[in-house]
Amino acid sequence: MSTRHILLGLLSSGPSHGYDLKRRHDERFPQARPLAYGQVYTTLQRLVRDGLAKIEGTDSDGGPERTVYRATDDGERELARWASETAPPAPFVSNEIFAKVVVAILSGADPAAYLHDQRAAHMTRMRELTKVKTTPGADLATVLSADYALSHLDADLRWMSTTADRLATLTAEVTSR
Amino acid sequence: MTEDVKLAWLFTRGSDRREWWRFGLTAVGALCATGFAAAAAALASLGGVTYRIPYGDGLFDRPGERTGVILALFLLLLPTMGFLGQCARVGAVHRDRRMAGLRLAGASARRVRRIAALETGLACLAGSVLAALVVGAVVLSIGVPSALLWVAVAAVALLVPVAGALVSVVALRRVVASPLGEVRRERRPAGRRTALQGVVAVAGAIMLGILVVAYGGRIGVNGPVALFVAFLLIGLGAVWVSGSSARLLGGRLAGRTEDPAVLIAAERLRDDPWAAARTHAAVLLITVVATGYMGIRQAMMDDIFAPESSSPQDVDFYVTGLDLTAAAVGIGLLITLAAVAVGAAEGIAARRQGLAEQVAAGVPRHTLSRALLLETALPLAPAVGLAAVGGLAVGTFYATAMGGGGFVLPWTALPVPFAVYATCLLAAATAMPLLRRTARPSELRHA
Amino acid sequence: MSTANGPLLAARDLVKTHGRTDALRGASAELHAGEILAVTGPSGSGKSTLLHCMAGIVRPDGGSVHYEGLRIDTCPEDRLSALRRTDFGVVFQFGQLIPELTLTDNVALPLMLAGTSRREARARAGEWLDRFGVGDRGDARPGELSGGQAQRGALARALVTGPRVVFADEPTGALDSLSGERVMSELVSAVRSSGAAVLLITHDARVAAYADREIRLADGRAAAMEGAI
Repeated sequence: MSTRHILLGLLSSGPSHGYDLKRRHDERFPQARPLAYGQVYTTLQRLVRDGLAKIEGTDSDGGPERTVYRATDDGERELARWASETAPPAPFVSNEIFAKVVVAILSGADPAAYLHDQRAAHMTRMRELTKVKTTPGADLATVLSADYALSHLDADLRWMSTTADRLATLTAEVTSR
Repeated sequence: MTEDVKLAWLFTRGSDRREWWRFGLTAVGALCATGFAAAAAALASLGGVTYRIPYGDGLFDRPGERTGVILALFLLLLPTMGFLGQCARVGAVHRDRRMAGLRLAGASARRVRRIAALETGLACLAGSVLAALVVGAVVLSIGVPSALLWVAVAAVALLVPVAGALVSVVALRRVVASPLGEVRRERRPAGRRTALQGVVAVAGAIMLGILVVAYGGRIGVNGPVALFVAFLLIGLGAVWVSGSSARLLGGRLAGRTEDPAVLIAAERLRDDPWAAARTHAAVLLITVVATGYMGIRQAMMDDIFAPESSSPQDVDFYVTGLDLTAAAVGIGLLITLAAVAVGAAEGIAARRQGLAEQVAAGVPRHTLSRALLLETALPLAPAVGLAAVGGLAVGTFYATAMGGGGFVLPWTALPVPFAVYATCLLAAATAMPLLRRTARPSELRHA
Repeated sequence: MSTANGPLLAARDLVKTHGRTDALRGASAELHAGEILAVTGPSGSGKSTLLHCMAGIVRPDGGSVHYEGLRIDTCPEDRLSALRRTDFGVVFQFGQLIPELTLTDNVALPLMLAGTSRREARARAGEWLDRFGVGDRGDARPGELSGGQAQRGALARALVTGPRVVFADEPTGALDSLSGERVMSELVSAVRSSGAAVLLITHDARVAAYADREIRLADGRAAAMEGAI
């Protein structure tokens, strides 16, 4: 996830200051991890350093003074390049659940019990997400981001259930080497 | 072609129980049809010569009476055809699915139709061969017949399976058109006109029948054949009436009924009015024939037992003739009732999953039973009424003509349509236990 | 009536054999008023049989089913039929609409069976169809509807009598995922406002996630209970 490109994208609709960018980010991408202020300001400074954004001026608006940023032409080009570039599909398969299953087998613990508990945890999270998206008045952005997470959790669950069915074979394979 | 025969045979052997019912019933139907037709052909081959035949009090001896018997046998063919048509529907869902599977596997529509026709043909052949053997045995027990007779019997025994195969080709013309086996019925607007056309056809056929009875001999028209055609037309007209009145009645009732059972029955009638009409074709014919027969019988009995007429032997002769006809009508009625029962049972079997779902969803079984009975009862009433009027007209005309003086109403014929109607409902009701067995949740699973 | 905290519908130690295979081998489940309970498990684990037993469609060979203190598994068929008509609603994978009836008549049917006049029944059916967004398809027959529309009609038919329990057996099984999601969220919002409880059979975790709680069946037994009421 490229925070600099997302901030650049938010800037492309018009000049904005750091606090406003953070608020709009959290609003636009619900269910995502909220941005920290510090992260917003360091990222903006880097964008300015690389010539992708520049300082427009300051804006006090009755409150404390804030620096207003805007995207440069280079920034707009970079944003267009990034937005049209496909995301690499699963370049590295790093799977914490699988790692835990293998470790459980190696250490003589009960991988089936672990998978069962993991499944319960996944289902609990899926119920939470479903509740969020079926709350009356939920906007489409909320629904779509919840759906994204639900699809991934569902994929995990399917994988866990086929793995649970083949634990005996896996155990034999892992312990024989 | 030999490959097709092999395939047809493989399918026949590998098919499930419901389909064996179809083969069995088709064979029985073919047996009856061949029996009646072969007997008629054998009698016809005797020509205009008098023989001594030791059956039926000399009824078969003279050419004149033989003509009457041949007519009776011909008429028996009508309900038999209706029965055969009904049998073709038993387990048809499975067959249609198999045919669609063949199409998906790459068989051409023509080839699939040929295989289906061969299947039906094989079943019919089994029945007709058996019937031909029986007829042959009876003939041999009487004497040494002419070659013409054997040719006639053999021709009938071959014609029946061929006709069966052709009919199944026609019946399957829409099914095999699509490899997915979808047959979508088009909904035509309600037909007041078609009902009217049906009434006109019936009326025309009745007039034709009366004219043939009255003047047939004089203008040299072959009586039995003409009457056969007249009855066939009456039957077709009545089917027409049954189908279009089913649609009309369905539409009317569906719009305003308060009773769920009537609503379900009415909508089913509106959706496929001809399903009921097909089943009822034989019923309507038998109503015409039975009503007409009762009228003629009453007139003839009055005549026979009139003080100035015939000797005791003659009385025996006539009464035996009338009783034989009565037996023929009775057999026809039995065949017809079998067709009604088969139709009702097939209607339930084909919809078993839907019915099971209705029961599971809380629709009481008795509501569904009533809907199924109403589906038979509603369209049958006007059609039987019309058929009865037709038969009664023939009977009344005959009685009046015979009586010489004044108008005679053959009152013994009046209960006939009611009796036919009631027995039909009973026959349909015999399928109800099947509903109880069918509407079970075990049917819920498979789509 | 049930005690204040007791379950609305309770199955205990159900045993059911189909031919030689055991569909249920001591399965238990409790459904509380107003909750949505998902029953999941691999195919052949006895999910549908559990639903059939709890809805009084099938009699178990052993164990008991109680609905508000009434013992369902030994109840006479007429009483059960009436119960399914008034207190229960059923939705199956392929709907259970009568193919020859219009959508409105299909939804009105349970009301007519309960003695409501045709006009009144059709009016209420129309309201439910509107609510599920298929009000304009009321005159169509099931064959003329898309899968999602037909399934919404089936929901309307299940809910029109104001049941206390809705039994749903793979209600989205025949739908694509978006239609399935819509049907599920409409079902959930309808029962949330009516207070009906739902017994939801599914093999799909995303559908099960609409429930408050989940029972997992394996080999005809409840393997685990998860989630909180």
